Amino acid sequence: MTLSDFSWLTDSPIFSTALWPAWVAGGAIGALAFAQRWLTDQPLGCSAAFGNACARMGSRLPLFQGPAHSTATDWKLWFLVGIFLGGLLASLSTGTWAEPTHFGTLYTALMPHSDVGRVLWWLFGGVLIGMGSRLAGGCTSGHTINGVAMGSPASIVASAFFFAAAVGTAQLSHHLLNTFGG
Amino acid sequence: MNNSSTLIRNGSFLLFGVVFGFLLSRAGATDPALIASLLLFENLHLLWVIATAVGVGAVLNFLAKQLKWRSVASGQPISFPHKPFVRALIPGALLFGVGWGLTGVCPGTAPAMLGEGQWFVGVILIGIVAGTWLVGFIHHIQIKRQVQSRNMTAANR
Repeated sequence: MTLSDFSWLTDSPIFSTALWPAWVAGGAIGALAFAQRWLTDQPLGCSAAFGNACARMGSRLPLFQGPAHSTATDWKLWFLVGIFLGGLLASLSTGTWAEPTHFGTLYTALMPHSDVGRVLWWLFGGVLIGMGSRLAGGCTSGHTINGVAMGSPASIVASAFFFAAAVGTAQLSHHLLNTFGG
Repeated sequence: MNNSSTLIRNGSFLLFGVVFGFLLSRAGATDPALIASLLLFENLHLLWVIATAVGVGAVLNFLAKQLKWRSVASGQPISFPHKPFVRALIPGALLFGVGWGLTGVCPGTAPAMLGEGQWFVGVILIGIVAGTWLVGFIHHIQIKRQVQSRNMTAANR
């Protein structure tokens, strides 16, 4: 058996189309989140794994020593490794790598133009994402896709503020760039 | 938990991750340009992705609760643990939203973007780990202060 025997699969739109219709991709994500819940009895989530990463890299801070980040929960890290491989699979199956400098008009105009400036920009953004998700107890996966779907009040509030702040930040940046010409 | 069940558990989450990363990519959630156009209300594709994902999840969760479907792992009815209303929920959510709005990246899409070949996300991932660590550090300082002020009160008594 060779790979060409699976051409009906590898040539199918599932693998060859880079962007699926919103309802197909969204429906599949919703079904996956539920399948994980049903099979493992663990809710979908991404940001808590970064606490495990801190503990595994040797941090002795009490926040990362509790049961939420114990070695018994290191499947959270394996989930992130899987996501990396899933992104790799997505690129390999379309036959093209994602363009690493395709940030769109907003971010291209907004970011510093020097390499050092951009690295600092991304570090700063990452720190905000890391601090915010840990303080709020979840991110767009844990709070929005998982929490809102089960009607959890804290997750609905968190998601509303995620979106309000993100929309506000992007719109404000857009208007400032238009006013001052970037 | 013994070794083989740990292996099965970690392996199944690795597989869930592969599917989730692949779907995030096919959904367009790993494209910062598409995130920006969502936040500027120019293209609502990702809004429909999120709405469908939440809608399908909500229907399945509702059925599972009503019909008391059992989890394969525990053999017990599936649990639906709500995340708590922590004190820092709203400030945290606002910080997260600003970071997300400035970069077009979130903790779930970041590894998938790296896998797709968007190398710059490696820097953001380092930032996310640093930000997470910073919350742990602030938490540690707060605990120390509380212990100190308690000791002071006890000494003054």
